[in-house]
Amino acid sequence: MATESTGAPAGAPAPQERGKQQAKPAAAKDTPTTGGDAAGEQKLTPAQLKAKAKAEKAARRAKAKEVKEAPPAAAAADAKGGKGGKGGKQEGGQSGSQQHGKSVPGRRPSVTGRRPSIAVVKEDPRSSIPECFSHVPMAKRIQTSQAHKDVHPAVLAVGQQMATFALKDSIARLEATLLAFKKVIESYETPKGNSLSRHFVPHVLNPQIEYLTECRPMSFPMGNAIRFLKSQVNKFDIDTPEDEAKESLLEFIDIFINERITLAEVVISKNAAELIDEDGVVLTYGRHRLVEKTILRAKADGKNFAVSIIDDPYDQGGKELAKTLQQAGIRVFYSPNLGGLRAHLERASNVLLGTEAIFANGSLLAPAGTADVAMAASAANVKVVALCETINFDRERVSVDSLTYNEIDPERCSVESFRLMFDNTHSKYITGVITEFESGTDFAPAQAILTLLRKREDPTIA
Amino acid sequence: MAPSQTSYAPTLGKLLKSLNSQPLEASIESLVYLLKRRQVKGDDIANAIAHMLLQVVAKSKWQSVDQLLAKVSNTGLRLAQSAPSEQVIGNVVRRVMGLIRDEASEDRNADDMADSVSDLSQLPTTPTMPSRPGPTPLRAATLPMSRSMFNLLCVSETVSSPGTGASTPMSQGASANMHALRSEVIDGIEEIMDEISQADDQIAGFADIQIHPGDYVLAYLPSPTVERFLVKAAAKRRFTVFLASGDRQEPGEVPHAALCKKLNGLGVNTISLASNGLMAYMPRVNKVVIGAKAVYANGGVSTESGCSIAARAAREYSKPVIVLSGVYKFCPADPSDDVTEFERGDSSAFVDYADGEAVDALEVENIVAEYLPPQYVDVYVTNL
Repeated sequence: MATESTGAPAGAPAPQERGKQQAKPAAAKDTPTTGGDAAGEQKLTPAQLKAKAKAEKAARRAKAKEVKEAPPAAAAADAKGGKGGKGGKQEGGQSGSQQHGKSVPGRRPSVTGRRPSIAVVKEDPRSSIPECFSHVPMAKRIQTSQAHKDVHPAVLAVGQQMATFALKDSIARLEATLLAFKKVIESYETPKGNSLSRHFVPHVLNPQIEYLTECRPMSFPMGNAIRFLKSQVNKFDIDTPEDEAKESLLEFIDIFINERITLAEVVISKNAAELIDEDGVVLTYGRHRLVEKTILRAKADGKNFAVSIIDDPYDQGGKELAKTLQQAGIRVFYSPNLGGLRAHLERASNVLLGTEAIFANGSLLAPAGTADVAMAASAANVKVVALCETINFDRERVSVDSLTYNEIDPERCSVESFRLMFDNTHSKYITGVITEFESGTDFAPAQAILTLLRKREDPTIA
Repeated sequence: MAPSQTSYAPTLGKLLKSLNSQPLEASIESLVYLLKRRQVKGDDIANAIAHMLLQVVAKSKWQSVDQLLAKVSNTGLRLAQSAPSEQVIGNVVRRVMGLIRDEASEDRNADDMADSVSDLSQLPTTPTMPSRPGPTPLRAATLPMSRSMFNLLCVSETVSSPGTGASTPMSQGASANMHALRSEVIDGIEEIMDEISQADDQIAGFADIQIHPGDYVLAYLPSPTVERFLVKAAAKRRFTVFLASGDRQEPGEVPHAALCKKLNGLGVNTISLASNGLMAYMPRVNKVVIGAKAVYANGGVSTESGCSIAARAAREYSKPVIVLSGVYKFCPADPSDDVTEFERGDSSAFVDYADGEAVDALEVENIVAEYLPPQYVDVYVTNL
């Protein structure tokens, strides 16, 4: 992954998908178009491109209209539109919100049997969510034909992959989103009498973001990256030539992916690998990309150690991790559920945890069960180290319990079987956080995150 | 081999029914195997042990109190050793032995037996089962149970000492008393059995004190005791139950379906949590109810695996943890180091043997029982 070129993503918008590609009929249906598009676009002249984009848009409009006519009853007041993500959706001036209003009926998931044959055939999956968790958002599958007419095909595909959890990890989603946005920028043409810096965000970018948020609540790094991207667009002078602006945006995204994702992964795994003791036992929960990289890196550095994996029985990512590690010649202890936690902690020398996000108060958002592991580990006086790219840091929001920011597993959203995807780990249970940025100490306490973020707001990047 | 196998169905119910028709030694043997295979679990254990000791008292031959105590103690030892993690076995055996001693001393006082005290003083009041040698059990060469292949895996018990040899001389009239003693002891054991069977109901009587309207109650792996507790509360209160269990359920299947149905019928909502970690739900939960397998003298609780996860999470959010336990589960002993260890169970369910790669790769440890330290418990509800 570290050496992979992020510059020219030819086919699918997500070269990083390590997840299983199964079961996503809608996305599969759409992907060929996207691939063809991408390949074509790179060869066409600007004029041809323009024509093509126009034709595409017309086709999409027709499609959207069709859908609009089909379920007229579905026009129920759209709560989704106003809700949106965090990324400042409402900047889209007058015409933006008009457009938005018009397209509302089309974006509602149809209740008739139009849905592809996915697992849930219920009318509204949200209706089965128990009352006490009804505020928690949940990913949902939106048929591509019902998406907003301005949604770019590449984004459509990413949205489907996110809704089906083919793209699961927050960073994988971020990368796919950014690559899709590159396509959006490439195919963007500023209408006459407008300027890119004024027109692009409200009329082109925001619908994409809205669609992605509807497919699955935005991950924290996505929110951060989009904020950076928008501020980048706003920096352009109103007279900046379009080509120049687009070129600079594309370059910005490339640098962003390189620095904040690819390099970050290498640096974090290198730093974290140094923490693994010779002849120690590293305990981890489930499977996280950074933890896996770190362990393999430490092994490659010639260290001799064992790994204790506590798995989530509902996810079983740990089993896959165990196989990978075994192939690398590492001794693996495996507990299929948290019941074995205390027994495993007795021999563990430190705990490595992967995270989805870190809040401004230092608490971690991580896969459900992480909090239990961190708490038991700190009770057993075992070091708990969280691995996290700085792009996952949220510097505005705080969270003290797991019901503030969370997601419901769409496969398990009824009273018979209910599951929250994440939980909240208080910073007092964390010995340290390893990020790619603190290259001097490599071991930033969770409380120092705000300082880190201030540093991170260096004008060189944002 | 085959014909005998078909008649042999290893369930506790069958065993208890056949107690009267089978020779005593065969019954004990089959209960030992049920315990060793962990086919008798939870609250059934106490009941089964009481039944078995009743048989020992009723069927075996004994001329003196000492002999009876030795027999009971010896049988109890064998049963306890076959499931060392089940403290309840020792508890019931101790209860029965205490009962015998009480009855015996009453009789002797009536007979003005001067030397009865010496007998009592020789028996420790809280016998630690493994350290007490007893007389060699009557081991017939061919017992019906010994055909089981399980025997091949057993280490033959090495019971060294031939007997305690502390029998006190009996007066002439004593043997007549023995008959009366036998029926008194049997009555006493039946009382113990009654107490065991009523414990759940009595505990459930406290349900409406602990559970309030609008509560969210987390029940981790509800045992029959916990189930009855919740159902009883549901008759009076409207609340919500979170059901959690450590192992994976497929999306279609509902764990504890019978309990859910019962509770829903009474107007109580149930939510089955498909999650291993419980921290995420704790802010919502008002109290956690856990069924104990045994309670130690220091207040520590022997529980199903995973309960300490629930209890720790509850402690983090300062939610009360309620432990339900009949008095017969209270052990006089403090937990030893062996106890704070974990009981490991079958690991084959977690990795498919078809997945050869995984079978090679993993050292699977499946913990089935664990110890919950007393500091995580807020309330003990018992049947007293």
